[in-house]
Amino acid sequence: MKALNFEGRGSEYFKIWIVNVLLVIITVGLYYPWAKVRNHRYFYGNTTLEGRNFEYHATGKQLFLGFLVAMILFIVYMVIQKISPEGSLLILLILFIAIPWLIWRSLKFSMRMTSFSNVRFGFNGTLKASYINFFLLPMLFFLAIYAVPIGAAVLVPKLSAETDIPSWASIVIPIAALFITMMAFYMYALIKKRNASYVVNGSRYGQGIFETKLETKKFMGILFKTILLSSVIFGILFLLIGAVVYGTVGVEGIMEIKNSMEDPEAVRKNIGPLMPLIISVYGGMILGGMFILSYAITRQRTYIYENTTLDEKITFASTLKAKSLAWVMITNFILVILTLGLAFPWAKVRLARLMVENTLVDTESGFYDYVTQKQNEESSLGEQIGDAFDVDVGLGF
Amino acid sequence: MIEGKWYAEGSAASHAARLSVHGNEYKLEVENGTSYEGALRELHVGNRLGNVERKIILADGSLFATRNNDAVDIAFKNQLKTNRLIHTLESKYRWVFIALIVTVLTAFAFFKWGVPWTSKKIAHALPEKTNQVIAANTLDFLDDYMFKKTTVSTDKMEKIRKHFHAKIVPLSTENKEIVYKLHFRSWSDGNLSIPNALALPSGDIILTDKFVELCESQDEMDSVLLHEMGHVVHRHTLEMVIEGTFVSVAVMLIVGDSNGLVDMGVGLGSLLVSSSYSRGHESEADMYAFKHMLTAHIDPVSFSHIMNRMTKYMAGQTSSKKKESKENKEQHKEVKESKGSLLDYLSSHPNTKKRVDIAKQFSECYKKGLRTCDIKMSE
Repeated sequence: MKALNFEGRGSEYFKIWIVNVLLVIITVGLYYPWAKVRNHRYFYGNTTLEGRNFEYHATGKQLFLGFLVAMILFIVYMVIQKISPEGSLLILLILFIAIPWLIWRSLKFSMRMTSFSNVRFGFNGTLKASYINFFLLPMLFFLAIYAVPIGAAVLVPKLSAETDIPSWASIVIPIAALFITMMAFYMYALIKKRNASYVVNGSRYGQGIFETKLETKKFMGILFKTILLSSVIFGILFLLIGAVVYGTVGVEGIMEIKNSMEDPEAVRKNIGPLMPLIISVYGGMILGGMFILSYAITRQRTYIYENTTLDEKITFASTLKAKSLAWVMITNFILVILTLGLAFPWAKVRLARLMVENTLVDTESGFYDYVTQKQNEESSLGEQIGDAFDVDVGLGF
Repeated sequence: MIEGKWYAEGSAASHAARLSVHGNEYKLEVENGTSYEGALRELHVGNRLGNVERKIILADGSLFATRNNDAVDIAFKNQLKTNRLIHTLESKYRWVFIALIVTVLTAFAFFKWGVPWTSKKIAHALPEKTNQVIAANTLDFLDDYMFKKTTVSTDKMEKIRKHFHAKIVPLSTENKEIVYKLHFRSWSDGNLSIPNALALPSGDIILTDKFVELCESQDEMDSVLLHEMGHVVHRHTLEMVIEGTFVSVAVMLIVGDSNGLVDMGVGLGSLLVSSSYSRGHESEADMYAFKHMLTAHIDPVSFSHIMNRMTKYMAGQTSSKKKESKENKEQHKEVKESKGSLLDYLSSHPNTKKRVDIAKQFSECYKKGLRTCDIKMSE
């Protein structure tokens, strides 16, 4: 097993980034596709394995048309969102329906535009599978989680209104609620598993086929541990905050603030001295949230990588640890905030280095036999729209 | 001599290779015995990016890759003219520094003046119909979710409307297309009824019951009506829509592919920027009201009276819920000077104290019998 190398440097990327930003500004945004290409090329090109590197092949010209269309759609969306509540709901609905298509197009385009050691990647997943994984199953999941509160809201008053509640109800209802909750957990894990399988199993490297065999119950295990970890972290956080608030402001102080919420002058006056406390509460929540997120990401990553093969002979592994990911994410966040965004390039390089250098590949059988396969030209439209609307597969690797 | 690797077209197998360039001719020798020779311009050189491995594509689609970027730059200097500019910008700290300064200044100027100015131009270039379109369902929406039926008597409503159309509307000479219409609604949050006046871009002005109740004189009500008309005349709703779009698009382009954490910081930044625009609009509407009050012989101090009364009412209402204590007695006094706290920057309205001060300055002019008043607005 050999770890990938990341050879980019923050100071070098800073220069590339700032020139990109400058050119985007002076061209009123039209340079964006070229800037995006340079960014991608920098990160792909600096990722190496035994002296071979990745490469991003899309050109600014190729992205430009898709970029213009995406921009126009984005502007239309922003305007409608501001002037018409019904219109923005409609757009969200359209976007929700379009997401699987956008993901599918994005994967096809990005894979096609990526090479390693002169051989292109590809993506063979179907649009139908994308709709099942990114539309149908998430919908069922939302139905399942909304079924619990809605069911409770409908059933409980109805039953309590009746004079004699049937004795079976007190047993059946909690069991049904528990069952639906378990179903929701199961659905969530199933969606994660299917999404990861869709991306990995659809991927090609030259003629090589990526394959992964994942189990839903492993994802459920990760989910349960994540929930447990969140309850512990937030539990401690709330106890701590409670103790501090009780010791400093007292219950009356809190009530006073709550009562004066409507009046900006009074809020200003009451909240002023509390600012440090409020900031530390938010800070604690953000830090806690980041750690939990890191935990979930690293566990899934490790599990998926370990079970992925290329042509059943090249294997992968991830050595990424939740602690180090959380550390990089938290310090990046602070760095970017404190420098008003100027540290963004360093933050990006640090995160990329951590991710890349914790990716292991078994290179014993070598890459000599791999050859680029003929593929259709892909349009960048879907990828650009997905980019503008921040559509993401959501796997975090 | 440039050392590197050679790949057959589309193949992942690499072979050590060396490239030598003499004038306009090149020679490439691959360790497996293959060799290429020819004119330099037959080769396609990729653009330089930092120190990422350089790819040179040969006429037959095979590839020569090398890390010796500097040697490639020298050998292919005639082919790399456009790329050289960007690479020069990226590699010299002097240029990077200039780029940084220009970027920061342009970004600042863009958000501070560019966006409001352009939005104003666009907002006023659009036909009056636009205002009708964006306001079309707003009142129905507010009626469904926020407002209740008014309890103001029909007589009183008629009186206010009559005065408004006879005395106040004629003051607005800027845009004859606007059709002003007064609406009365009750708006309460919990047990607290809220004094407020809102203007829709269509010229519909909504007065809440509590506001009508709190007005002690016709002048006070007129001052607020003129302020709302100021929003309509200056097309502030439309400007907000355009400004918001500008900010979102600019942020998307500059930050681009960021992750969720950076988005939080960006969100806060956008909030600060849009609150600043909103405060600008309020001040502009205030100025509109004050100027027209001078023309109509209304003492601008009325505006400060009603503003103070509304603020005091809100403070009194919210504090009466709790036990009488030292602090809330202070709140019943004049609106105190609030320190320039961080929250001022998040507020969508200028500090009441500042608005009242300007009203008083206008009132000075009024007392001197002036019809115009030159007052500097400060943010």
